[in-house]
Amino acid sequence: MASPRVRKILRDVWHHKARTILVVLAISIGIVGAGAVLNTWSLLRRVTREGFLATNPASATIRTDSIDASLLDRVRALPAIREVQARRTVIGRAMVGGAWRSAVLFTVADFTAIRIGTLQPMSGAWPPALGTVVIESSSMEYADAAIGQPLIVQVGDAEQQALDVSGIARDAGLAPGWMEHVVYGFVTPGTLAQLGAPASLNLLQFVVRDEALDREEVRRIAYEVKALIESTGRRVVDVDVPEPGEHIHAGQINSLLYTQGAFGVLALLLSGFLVINLVSAMLAGQVREIGVMKAIGARSEQLAAMYLGLALVLGLVACLVALPIAVLLGRWYAEFTATLLNFDTAGFSIPVWAIAVQLAVGALLPVAAASIPVLRGCRIPVSAALRDFGIEGDGKGNARWLRGFGGMTRPLLLSLRNAFRRRQRMALTLLTLAMGGAVYLGALNLRQSIRNSVAYMFGGILRYDISVGFARPYRADSIEAAIGRVDGVSRVEAWSGSRAAIARAEGVLGNAFPIVSLPANSAMVSFVVDSGRGLTPGDSSGLVVNRTLLRGEPGITIGGDVSLVIDGRSSRWTIVGIVESGPGPTAFATREAIVRATGEAGMDRAVVFAADRRPAAQAELSRRLREALQNQGFEIGSSLLMAESRRVLEDHMLLVAGFLMIMSQAMIVVGGLGLASTMSLSVLERTREIGVLRAIGADHRSILAMIQIEGLVISIASWALAIPLSIPMSVALGNAFGRIMMPVRVVSLMPESSGVLLWLAVVVGVSLVACAWPASRATRVTTAAALAYE
Amino acid sequence: MSTPLIRLENVTRTFPGAAGAFTALSDVSLTIDQGEFAVVVGQSGSGKSTLLGLLSGIDRPTRGEVFVADTAVHSLSERAMSSWRGKAVGIVFQFFQLLPTLTAVENVMLPMDFCGTWVPRERRERALALLERLGVADQADKFPTKLSGGQQQRVAIARALANQPALLLADEPTGNLDSRTSDAILELFRSLAAEGQTVVMVTHEQGARRLASRTITLADGRIVANERGSHG
Repeated sequence: MASPRVRKILRDVWHHKARTILVVLAISIGIVGAGAVLNTWSLLRRVTREGFLATNPASATIRTDSIDASLLDRVRALPAIREVQARRTVIGRAMVGGAWRSAVLFTVADFTAIRIGTLQPMSGAWPPALGTVVIESSSMEYADAAIGQPLIVQVGDAEQQALDVSGIARDAGLAPGWMEHVVYGFVTPGTLAQLGAPASLNLLQFVVRDEALDREEVRRIAYEVKALIESTGRRVVDVDVPEPGEHIHAGQINSLLYTQGAFGVLALLLSGFLVINLVSAMLAGQVREIGVMKAIGARSEQLAAMYLGLALVLGLVACLVALPIAVLLGRWYAEFTATLLNFDTAGFSIPVWAIAVQLAVGALLPVAAASIPVLRGCRIPVSAALRDFGIEGDGKGNARWLRGFGGMTRPLLLSLRNAFRRRQRMALTLLTLAMGGAVYLGALNLRQSIRNSVAYMFGGILRYDISVGFARPYRADSIEAAIGRVDGVSRVEAWSGSRAAIARAEGVLGNAFPIVSLPANSAMVSFVVDSGRGLTPGDSSGLVVNRTLLRGEPGITIGGDVSLVIDGRSSRWTIVGIVESGPGPTAFATREAIVRATGEAGMDRAVVFAADRRPAAQAELSRRLREALQNQGFEIGSSLLMAESRRVLEDHMLLVAGFLMIMSQAMIVVGGLGLASTMSLSVLERTREIGVLRAIGADHRSILAMIQIEGLVISIASWALAIPLSIPMSVALGNAFGRIMMPVRVVSLMPESSGVLLWLAVVVGVSLVACAWPASRATRVTTAAALAYE
Repeated sequence: MSTPLIRLENVTRTFPGAAGAFTALSDVSLTIDQGEFAVVVGQSGSGKSTLLGLLSGIDRPTRGEVFVADTAVHSLSERAMSSWRGKAVGIVFQFFQLLPTLTAVENVMLPMDFCGTWVPRERRERALALLERLGVADQADKFPTKLSGGQQQRVAIARALANQPALLLADEPTGNLDSRTSDAILELFRSLAAEGQTVVMVTHEQGARRLASRTITLADGRIVANERGSHG
């Protein structure tokens, strides 16, 4: 049988069910917030580590001429190489819903013998048979494809052909097709030949033997391989060395989760504050009982153990509630994030250590939070505890500035002063609400900044609507003349795109990035120049790079010289400017400069500004453009509607802001609970005072109003505090987001006025709801009972 | 011959206040023998409750010494004080102060629980025996709110006796009771004293003098009378 003191605590808990539920709820919310992020992160880490590494990703990929078995054997014989394999990538297009979309077709000699970047068959047939295509799972939706249905594919200028979609497979090493706007497919070399594309394998992938090598060391090995390939008389186009063992997007996901993790920790801290508040409330009602227990022989540590033990039990109960929710949320968010990475979380479980951490924090947080008020409560001298009558005489509500409101009615003044009576408790509640508000306003601002940035990118920086890619280069003037004749085209410019890499001192190339050549005075693009300047007509060797490129090549400075390798040819460039141009690393040069560097005079891309601004009209224009160009003998590779790209990009970016909004809503719930507990506590502590007020004539309504106004004073103060707090929040969110996704243009640090007003409404609403119970409790206080209250 | 259980030597207690220090007890010396039923009377503010606080170790003297059953109460540490108090002193309050979420018998068991006295499985039996002795055994499993004032005070006295204290202190124990119940409680204290239990009671009750073995009258923090009663 439980001892009397255990029974006492248990019955107290039962007696104050509402408060107990609040404590459990408060801890649960904190655990759900922080736990969900931890679960997501740990699950994703496991999925990316185990899932990605299980595919045996390539340490490097080298693009060259055709590769044969003897070359593979020679590379395999190198001591540093564990595995080598050849594949080919062909860019073409696929007909989806009557329009062409970019398609990338992969082939290897034998799909059943892939050792590097292994594929995971998901449904249908595997491997692809001659004349069929297996679609990469992340592009099934984008390709509007179904197993058994034909997919019309065209490579270059060859005749379009219908390939049967025979199956679905996953390539965890690819960025998702729906995100990249590419239909990824796997075909045999024979099928490629049928499509009229060169079928020889031209990409050499290898895995190094030593898994501990860093990127530079792998790059060095890649250059040994490159030298070996070149010694056979082949040309090497580029060398790509990814960060070893890391998925292409892993860094981004980590930063994203760290940012959100910070909010999780914040939610946890705030719920800790709430627990302090609630436990203080509990102890405030128990001061006299503590005094009595001490008088009959209880030692402080016995009492502390009773209350801290209770906190531990409540924490464990909260864990019971919160952990399953945190696991569900974490899995859901990890699944969503994994989709961005082209991973599948199915078959992976959240690591045990993550659950253990949440359990430990969930159980100990309330103990830690309760320890301050418990130790304070248990140390009260018996005589003081027995003298406790519930009316405080500290006079702290009489701050000088609060005396200045001469015109106010007495009851209003009382509410106002009451709000400031328990400063520390009020500060905690106020801070919780204000942080929720700051996050909400910050997230709203981020959302607006994202919209603005995307709008700016697709309208401010990139001022064209349609981009047409050609299968081979044409003269700029012939492209521009042909497109200019199409009805509905307002402006056209011929551009070209090549892949370039920075040649480093030791004869090693950096990772390849696109270099775009365009007219120096292009009307289709308007860069925001970060430093230096934009392109000018005389720039025969001037290079403009974007900020994203700078991140991968931090050695680049304005005025500095770099050596670029473009299409296998080296050239010297001077960096003239650094600009902002979007999420991918890119360099820009004038058409003349690229001609000088590559010797290729033709252009392979056209960008078009449409007269009609409506998306439907632009889609129609894109179709007519293709038709007109084909009629005039141009070979078209792909065409892209910018409106479509914009929408997809925006949607993805906004999901992040959406997650933050959910976080802020969790915080307002914590804040509301905090307010409710603070106000219940006030009512409890002031029962006698309320009785006195009733005795001197306060009616139901004025008691109700007094409590509600007190709550509103705190809420509105939190609202006012949230506005300045949201400014650093916006800056922090913008910076974090900029580092992770793309540079956002923070339009204004000041929160939107509509958001500020909305938040005021939310805060007032939360306050009215939170104070409803304490207020009605206060009205139930009868004069007699209050004055007899012991 | 009776031995002094309580000995106060030149005890002074002052309280700091906004309007200067207030002296609640001034140079009080006093002895009370074992088995006495001593009643402390005096006007409000005369120092009665302060005296009781010093005897129970709830409060400490500013100057002077307090001995209870050979323990120098004034020199105990806070920690030692509470465990000493739990075993050596039983306190009965004016407002009963039963814990509302414990039943009568559990309230009586609580001091044994805190002080680790008696074997756990014997505690209930002992608590029931105490309730029996105080005539409220039939209320053992009720919560305090279901009991009358007199019944609550009897349970509170049983609780005060739970650890067989050398000294039973009562602070206005009848202040909240009707006169008939008051008389019964006073009679109870008298009979406890007759059985050898030392009882010190602070009261306004004039009728108490009649049953007491000694009446100590305080005024302005000083003992103005210390009389042996009819039961001395």
